[in-house]
Amino acid sequence: MSKRTRNGRHEQHWRGVSVSEGMATGRVLRVHSGSRQHIYRATLEEPDIEREVRRFQAAVRLSLRQLRAIKQRAEKALGAEHAYIFDAHMLMLEDRKLLDEVENLIRREHANAEWALKVASDRLLSVYAKIKDNYLRERSSDIEDVVSRILIALSGEPQQRHLTQDAVIVAEELLPSTAAELDFSHVRAIASDAGGWTSHTAIIARGLGIPAVVGLRELYRHARTGDEIAVNALRGEVVLHPSLNTVEQFRAAKGVVGVRALTSESGCEEPLRTLDGVEIILRANIELPAEYGGVKRFGARGIGLYRSEFLLAQRGQMPTEDEQCAAYKEVAALAGIDGATVRLFDLGGDKIAAGETDNERNPALGLRAIRLCLRREDLLRTQVRAVLRAAATGRLDLVLPMISDVSDVRRTRRIIDEERINLEREGYETGTIKTGAMIEVPSAVLMAEKLAHEVDFFSLGTNDLVQYLLAVDRSNDEVSDWFRTLHPAVLHSIERTLGAARSAHIPAIVCGEMAASPAYALVLVGLGALDLSMTASSIPRVRRMLAAIDAGKARQLATDCLSCATADETEELVRVRLSEMWPELFPPESLPPPRQEW
Amino acid sequence: MQEQHVVVTNRLGLHARAAAKLVRTASGFRSSIRLERAGNGGGDDISADAKSILSVLMLAASRGTHLSIVCEGIDEEVALGAVCALFERNFGEDQE
Repeated sequence: MSKRTRNGRHEQHWRGVSVSEGMATGRVLRVHSGSRQHIYRATLEEPDIEREVRRFQAAVRLSLRQLRAIKQRAEKALGAEHAYIFDAHMLMLEDRKLLDEVENLIRREHANAEWALKVASDRLLSVYAKIKDNYLRERSSDIEDVVSRILIALSGEPQQRHLTQDAVIVAEELLPSTAAELDFSHVRAIASDAGGWTSHTAIIARGLGIPAVVGLRELYRHARTGDEIAVNALRGEVVLHPSLNTVEQFRAAKGVVGVRALTSESGCEEPLRTLDGVEIILRANIELPAEYGGVKRFGARGIGLYRSEFLLAQRGQMPTEDEQCAAYKEVAALAGIDGATVRLFDLGGDKIAAGETDNERNPALGLRAIRLCLRREDLLRTQVRAVLRAAATGRLDLVLPMISDVSDVRRTRRIIDEERINLEREGYETGTIKTGAMIEVPSAVLMAEKLAHEVDFFSLGTNDLVQYLLAVDRSNDEVSDWFRTLHPAVLHSIERTLGAARSAHIPAIVCGEMAASPAYALVLVGLGALDLSMTASSIPRVRRMLAAIDAGKARQLATDCLSCATADETEELVRVRLSEMWPELFPPESLPPPRQEW
Repeated sequence: MQEQHVVVTNRLGLHARAAAKLVRTASGFRSSIRLERAGNGGGDDISADAKSILSVLMLAASRGTHLSIVCEGIDEEVALGAVCALFERNFGEDQE
């Protein structure tokens, strides 16, 4: 995950889930959530027991007073609808169910208040952990918050936090009362290990228009207060110890994007058309359950890419057929009538190690994606069965990653057909699925016409396409100057692939970072793309842009790009044309700066 | 004893805000107020004290959950009316 920059420091990259818009750079302020405090167990002498109960009651009263004050502040800063949560917290502090149990434990077990509180709250939390509804289960964080508040009150520690002017809050989880105590006029961004769309961190960050990325595994453990950090809530990226280059890129981009609270776009239920009437479909790429909420919120037309390998990362082991089936059903239900495309496990390379690819000299070119699926046929068959079964309940398609030869497609399709027959024989209901190929390897581009007759659709993975076409490792900083998304060779490949799909009358979805950037999305539409899939939070931006341009003009720009000789030329051309033709959509700062001579 | 059947219709179910409203309302009455959720016939019926927020949250009553409200005490009739009214008005939340 870490890589060495020129000055020998490690620029560390994290990917999480954006829960608001904007980007920021600053210095880390670690905020302890209090939930992982070490709780000691003491045994009290008989005469001290009632004193301990009173100590506990005093801590609860102090916590209540604090919460009352916090609630008033929060009502002013966030509005009454966000402050309600503190009302729930206050009720918890008055709840005899909890208080009685703690007091009983102190008296019966001669335990100290901290330990009694921990035992009582752990019992409560274990009940919550079994709740099936995601939103309601997440409310266990409210109990943790209340408990940590009492624990801090018991310890007598002050809660004041002094913020520097450029604080970026880093927390395991930002609990609502801690959040409300922070002076948000100084907070530039929030990055947390845990949390989802419905977490308080997300709600508060959106309410205040602060860039926030959540679901960053282990960031809290690695970050130290005072470390430099860059947060990009447009792409769900966080960079610790950013290089000067990275900081500059962030500053340049930040001026344009500004900080704006996200709202549901009006009219996002209507089909999107360019000014000259070309209909464009925008879908969502998803991976984490935390992203599910964004699909509807941002008006996605279904799910263009579901990265199924998250299921493995989540469980730490291969999920069973039933577990997978349940997950795919959920994704299909989320996508609704527009359907969802499940990508077969894309494992190996820079993704999660599957334990199959030990010591590969060149993992990006190794046993990964469809190759790993075909080698480990048991895993492939399990996944295919789960998708076929889930497809009985909703519209699901399957896309095969890293196809480099038509025979990969034929072998996989044969397995799909076999498993369909097996399932029917076993009495399972199956649904009709379309099978597509990811076009991300140069050989697939060159063979696109042949491939188009063997699959039901294409899916263009632009990130890997650039990496494989230009032979640039996208995780290697040393060669990042050669990673050029607008390289004429990339544009020719995309045009060729889209053309092959059109001739064969099959759809082609472009998914990958490229579609999420308005300038690139415009070029993609110019190259003939009609179906784009991206991080859900990028949809409103791309939608706004596409609704305000002519596809014909985009086509002209793309055609001119295709006749360029170098990436420098295409980038310059895009920069100049966009600022000339649509200055209000693409102010100069929104475009990549001219490249330095080197 | 007074009893009435209700269905949770607000989008997020009996979540923290709705639960807080319910508990505040219920705590204003002298009667005991319970929310009962039928299990799957296997004896796993769950019942919550409407005056305890932790108890109400543990019901995990998501949208569409059927509940029985049972009030018992000197003001049981008024209490039942007040609690049912909260459910009918979706706890004052806008439906999205």
